[in-house]
Amino acid sequence: MRLQLDDIHKRFGENEVLRGIDLSVESGQILALVGENGAGKSTLTRVISGAHQPNAGVLIIDGDDVRFNKPQDAMGAGIRVIYQEFRQNLFPHLDVAQNLFVLDLGGRFGRLFVRRGAMREAAKELLLSVGLDVDTAREVASLSVAEQQQLEIAKAISEDVKLLILDEPTAALDETESGFLFEQVRRLRDEGVAIVYITHRLKEAFDLADHVVVLRDGKVAMDESPDVVTEADVVTAMAGRTVEDLYPRHTQPTDRPRLELTDVSVAGAFESLSITVHAGEVVGIGGVAGSGKGEVPRAVFGLRRFTGGSVQLDGKTLDIRSPRDAIDAGIAYVTPDRQAEGLALGQSVGDNITLASLPEFTSAGWVARGSQRAAAAKIVEQLGIRTSSVDAEAGQLSGGNQQKVLLGRWVLRDPTVLLMDEPTRGVDVAAKADIYKIIDEQTREGAAVLLVSSDLPELVAMCDRVIVVRHGRAVAELTGEALSEQSVLEHALESES
Amino acid sequence: MTRTVGMLGRELRAIWMLLLVAIVLFIATPDFLTTGNLLNVVLAAATTALLAAGQTFVIILAEIDLSVGAIMGLAGVAVAIVLKDHGFLTALLLGLLVGALAGLINGLLVTKTRMPSFIATLAMMSVLAGLTLRITEGNPVAVNNDSFLAIGQAKPLGVPAPIWIMVAGFLVFGFLLARSQFGRYVYAVGDNAEAARLSGIPVDRVKILAFVISGVLSAVGGFILTARLGTAQPTAGAGMELAAIAAVIIGGTSLAGGRGALIGTAIGAVLLGTIDNGLNLLNVSPFLQDVVKGLVILFAVFIDRNSGALSRAAAHIPRPHSRGTVPSSTN
Repeated sequence: MRLQLDDIHKRFGENEVLRGIDLSVESGQILALVGENGAGKSTLTRVISGAHQPNAGVLIIDGDDVRFNKPQDAMGAGIRVIYQEFRQNLFPHLDVAQNLFVLDLGGRFGRLFVRRGAMREAAKELLLSVGLDVDTAREVASLSVAEQQQLEIAKAISEDVKLLILDEPTAALDETESGFLFEQVRRLRDEGVAIVYITHRLKEAFDLADHVVVLRDGKVAMDESPDVVTEADVVTAMAGRTVEDLYPRHTQPTDRPRLELTDVSVAGAFESLSITVHAGEVVGIGGVAGSGKGEVPRAVFGLRRFTGGSVQLDGKTLDIRSPRDAIDAGIAYVTPDRQAEGLALGQSVGDNITLASLPEFTSAGWVARGSQRAAAAKIVEQLGIRTSSVDAEAGQLSGGNQQKVLLGRWVLRDPTVLLMDEPTRGVDVAAKADIYKIIDEQTREGAAVLLVSSDLPELVAMCDRVIVVRHGRAVAELTGEALSEQSVLEHALESES
Repeated sequence: MTRTVGMLGRELRAIWMLLLVAIVLFIATPDFLTTGNLLNVVLAAATTALLAAGQTFVIILAEIDLSVGAIMGLAGVAVAIVLKDHGFLTALLLGLLVGALAGLINGLLVTKTRMPSFIATLAMMSVLAGLTLRITEGNPVAVNNDSFLAIGQAKPLGVPAPIWIMVAGFLVFGFLLARSQFGRYVYAVGDNAEAARLSGIPVDRVKILAFVISGVLSAVGGFILTARLGTAQPTAGAGMELAAIAAVIIGGTSLAGGRGALIGTAIGAVLLGTIDNGLNLLNVSPFLQDVVKGLVILFAVFIDRNSGALSRAAAHIPRPHSRGTVPSSTN
C-alpha cells in the first residue's frame, strides 16, 4: 500500500499545529519522522490513525481519497500505531493470551466460554513469530517493558497490518532490546509493511530509514534519503527556527553564587552533578526524555532524596526533606505538569495563587480573606492573568493563564531560587512571552533560576549557561558562542549507541 | 429550572428539593406545618446531621469515613458506663476522647499505611461495633445522670437542646471549614493532593485532623441519642454511616473531593429527616420509607452528575445556527 498525505492542516482553536504536511510512505519502506517537541509529530500520528480529523487536506491510500472519522476506520485500512505510552493499551492483570485476543471479534475461541487451551496455543505461535518466548499464561504486569512492547507489536500484526506507526519505540528499551526491535522492524519492512518510525535519536533514524522527514512548526522542513544528508543537516533542519522578540532576556547575572549543588546524586536518576547558579542568573538543564534532567529540581525541592553530594544556598548548607523545608528556605518549584500536580483546578484563582503562602494570611488559625484576595489580585494584575476575577475557578482559565497562576503562586513569595521544569509546555506564544518576561523580572530581583526544558530555542535564548545531561551525567556546559540549539542537541544525543 | 439551580451554589441545590418536599407535605397533611412537628423534624435530624458534618470534611478530602455510626455507638455506651461511677464532665471528656482516638486511628491508617479510607474505616466500623457489643454484652446501658440527660431532653427557650447543639456545631465547624487555614487546606488537598504537597501543605496532618473531627462529632451524636433515649443502645449507630454519607451527598459535596460546604450538609440532613417525618405522618409503611429515601439520594446524585450536561443541552436548544465543527470538504 501507499499512503500519501496531501497538504494536511490541523488546528486546535487558534493554534495551528499542522500547517500543510505533504509526505508519502509505501510498502517495504521505513520513514523516520523526527522533530522537536511541539513540531507536530504526535498530531500527525493521530491524523493518520483516525484519532484526529484534519481541518484541510486529504489522505490518499493507493490513489483513493480516504477519510478516517474514528480510529476503527484507520484500523480497517490496516493502519496500526504503537504509542510511546503503549502500556496504556495493555491490561496489566490479564494474561498474555487474553491481552492478545482481547477483542476476538470472530469468536475464534468460543463465544460464551473461552477455550483457553486453543487461545494459548494460538498466542504462543503469534509471539514466536515476533521472537517473544514467554509463557502465555503469565500476567502481563510481570513482563519486562521490552516484552510488553513486543506483545503490543504482536497484537498489531495479529491482524492484517499494512502500515505500522511506532512512536519513540526505544524510549524505554536498553541497547540489546533496541537491537532486537530494529531487527523486527526491518523484518516487517521486508514482509511488505510500510513503517513510520518516530524518534528523537538520529542514529536510529539513519540506521533504519529509507527516508528521513523532519517536522518543524507543523511543516515538513526536510524530506531526504539518509544517504544524501548528514546528521548535522537534520539537526539544523530541526532547530533552525528564527528567534523572534519572544525572549526578553536583559538582566546580566551577578557573580554571587546563590544555589550551589556539589557532586549531587539521586540513585537511578543522576550522578555527581555540580551546578552553581548565581544571583540573577538563568542556568538551563537540557537533555532528552529519560536523561534525568527533570529529577534535579525535584530533588532540590525535597521531592526526591539526594543519595550524595551537598546543596548550599547563599553559602549555607541546606538539609531539605520536604517541599515545606524548601519553601521556607526561599525555593520555588514550577512543576512540568500543572494539571496533575500544579493547580487545584476546582478552587479559585486566588486560592491557587496563595496556596503556598496561606500561613502569611493567617492569624490564630483564621485566614484574613480580605488581604488574601488583595494579594492574589495584585499578582493577577502584575502577571496579566486573564480571569474574570480572583474568585473564578482556576480550571476555567486557558492553559497559558493557568500556567501564569502557577507561576504567580511563587512570584508572590519572592523566591531566591526558582526551579522550573518545562515552564511553557502547552501554552500559546503570547503566554510564553509573558512567562519569559516574568523569568527575567525574577532574575532582576536577584533570583537564581534553574530552568529544565526540552524546548531548545527557549533554553538557548533564556539561559546564560546550559548544562547538558545524558544518562544522568553532565556531558557539557555550554555558554556564549558555544551555546546553540545545535550544540545542545548534539551533546544530548551523541553516542547514544 | 436547571438554569436557576445552576445560579445557586451546588451546595444549595438541595434546598429546592427540601422546599418541594415541604410543599407536598404541607398540601398532603395539615399536621406537617406546625411548630411542634417542625421542631421534631430537626430534632430527629440532629444526630445524623452531626455525623454528616464530620463526614463532610472527610468527603471534601476525597476520602470516606464508614466508621461514624460505630464510633457513635461506642461513645454513647462509653459515656453511659462511666456515668455510673463518675461525674458528668469526666464522662463527657472520656466520650469525646473515644471519638477522637477512633478518628486518629482512622487518619493514621489512611495516611501512614496508605490504606484506602473505604477499607480502613470499614474495618474500623467492624472493630468498634464489635467492641461495643463485647463491652455491653449486647445489653442497653441505662443513664440516670440528670445533667447528662439534659443534653437530649432540655428545652432552652422552648427549643430542644440537641437542636442548639447541632446549630452551634454547624456554626463552629462551618466557619472552620470556610474560613480557617485548615479549612482552606481541606479543599486544596481534596482537589489535588499532589499540588497541595508541592505547595508545602502538610497533607497527612490535614487528613488526620479531618478524621479526628469526624470521630469527635460522631461521639457528640452518640451523646445526644443516648441522652434523648435515657439508655445507650449498643447498636444505636448501625446504618447511621449511610444516612450521614447520604446527607453529605444530597448537600452537594462531591465524592471526588475539593467541593462542598457544611450548609449543604445541614440541608441534606434536614431533607432526609423531613422525608422520614412526612412518610410517618402519611402512615407509609416503614419498609417503604427506605425505598423512598434511596430514590431521593439517586435523584440528588443524578441532578449533581448531569447538571452540566443538562444546562449545556438547554443552552444548545435555542441556537439553530451554532457553528459546526465539521470542516467543509476541500475537494
